[in-house]
Amino acid sequence: MLEDHEILSTIEMVKNENLDVRAVTLGVNLFDCISSDLDTFKSNIRKKIVTHAGHLVSTCDQVGKKYGIKVVNKRISTSPIALVGAAFKTAQLVEIAQELNDIARTVNIDFIGGFSALVEKGMATGDLALIEALPEALASTQRVCASVNVATTRAGINMDGVLKMAQTIKQAAALTADEDGLGCAKLCVFSNIPQDMPFMAGSMLGPGVGDAVINVGVSGPGVVKKAIERNLGESHSLTLGQIAELIKNTSCKVTRVGELIGREVAQELGVRFGVVDLSLAPTPTVGDSIGEIFQALGLTSIGVPGSTAALAMLNDAVKKGGAFASSHVGGLSGAFIPVSEDLNIARAAEEGYLSLEKLESMTCVCSVGLDMVPVPGDITEECLAGIIADEMAIGMINTKTTATRIIPVPGKKAGEKVYFGGLLGEASIMEVPHHLLKDRFVTFGGRIPAPIHSLKN
Amino acid sequence: MEKIIVTVLGKDRPGIIALISGHLYNLDCNLENVNQMILQNEFAGFFIVDLPENLNMEAVEKELSAKANGQGLNVYVNRLDTDDATDEPITGETFFITTIGPDQKGLVARFSGIMARFNANITNLKAVFKGGDDPMANIMSYQIDIGPDIDKAGLFEALKAKGRELNLDVRIQHKNIFNVTNKI
Repeated sequence: MLEDHEILSTIEMVKNENLDVRAVTLGVNLFDCISSDLDTFKSNIRKKIVTHAGHLVSTCDQVGKKYGIKVVNKRISTSPIALVGAAFKTAQLVEIAQELNDIARTVNIDFIGGFSALVEKGMATGDLALIEALPEALASTQRVCASVNVATTRAGINMDGVLKMAQTIKQAAALTADEDGLGCAKLCVFSNIPQDMPFMAGSMLGPGVGDAVINVGVSGPGVVKKAIERNLGESHSLTLGQIAELIKNTSCKVTRVGELIGREVAQELGVRFGVVDLSLAPTPTVGDSIGEIFQALGLTSIGVPGSTAALAMLNDAVKKGGAFASSHVGGLSGAFIPVSEDLNIARAAEEGYLSLEKLESMTCVCSVGLDMVPVPGDITEECLAGIIADEMAIGMINTKTTATRIIPVPGKKAGEKVYFGGLLGEASIMEVPHHLLKDRFVTFGGRIPAPIHSLKN
Repeated sequence: MEKIIVTVLGKDRPGIIALISGHLYNLDCNLENVNQMILQNEFAGFFIVDLPENLNMEAVEKELSAKANGQGLNVYVNRLDTDDATDEPITGETFFITTIGPDQKGLVARFSGIMARFNANITNLKAVFKGGDDPMANIMSYQIDIGPDIDKAGLFEALKAKGRELNLDVRIQHKNIFNVTNKI
């Protein structure tokens, strides 16, 4: 029997605390579409994706309506195109990206991920062709998301890949200069990329995941923040241990909502249910922010001393609550700190509370990495590669996923505003110390060896 | 074996359940189900009772009324028609309809009227109208069963339309969402 307060607390979570399911992502394996003929390949992938995803949006809407919980984003991830399209040249891969863009439009989804390559130990012909196709592919499409994995804990860091990606990011920014380098907002560079992550822009379907699968990304920063504020309002004697417990309990509830909806969507579509990704993902809406959680925890702003400890506690509590709620947890599962996508974090950067260096240190204890960070357009390839390499090293050494989604904004300097629109948000360009350096380190190439797995300290 | 339902109404106070169940025990009756609720200060209790072979309904009513009326309680006893009882599983789905918004006369009548028109059975209803401007102080929560023959979309739209007309926030959610957020 449900009690009145239970009904009302659930309604409150939906009505005033922005509880929703952030992303239901249908993963579609494209290995059975492989052909060396471009038209055949394009026809095959269209047929397969549309067959599986034709009813994705309507099914998500229908299930969301049934439970009174909005499924905000419906998306598709595919097998890495560098693998299934390894036979194609760069220009052909651009055409494939455009076909994917058109397929996304056909099935009415906003993003399709999987224009990806896995190059942590080296770049094959198809990988290189895809990376070289990225600037044009991202500039000529709106819905295609790309990712390149350049490091893993077991393989080390492919420094040739890192430098290549820095050059590619600069080119992608140049080709979308009139949109403040928007192409780079759809491109992630990864260490330890997950095979089943539902969140864009880094979503792709790993080769070991199966034929078609529904992965769900839950959210709920607003719910967590309100839970902290409500309990602190009721009791001034809470310890951080008790607050962590509160975050854990809240995260458990949010995860169960995601799993309920994901399983039902999967059942309706006749595909397997994969994982719930527990990440707290913000939007540029007030009340739906990770940054605001830091303030609820008594910090002036995200980025001030204490922020890394607060984030570590938040991230761990979210994982614990989610792991208890669902046996199928995957993806990134933690807290996102994307600068432009979170109004509060963007403001913290503008007001000088959050520096790039502090952001990097915080990525040691949370999921993702340097996410949606606009930097001066004249940053050198070497400096950009250095930032990427640093972030990859954090992921490699700590056996966790890290990524960069850095946008060098052409023609703009630190402090100037950029507008990406929609969920991608807006921010001021962050100061990058020594951004004009052309240090030799990243140009040596080769691979930084995989770390030792014992003697941990 | 005869089965009866005993309904007890009166001002709430400690000891009502003990009083009624004690007398039923003394009469060698077997309780099958008991439920009670308190609305503001008024008590309502329901007892489904198996009678022993040597006792009839009239005797129980006479005995309970004699004991309870003096305590300010009204007792009603009815025969329970077990012929209608069915073991068929419920095939419908359970939804919660929650309305939040300003108090006004006729809210329950209007919303329950729509549910009746669509043949949706209300299995639980709680309504609190404290008046005033606080929307959370004026809430109705209906638990309804929706069988496969019911025009679900039509019912939901009619409820929402009524909500718009009366300036109420109407939320319609499957029961499972409340279970997953509140029950482990």
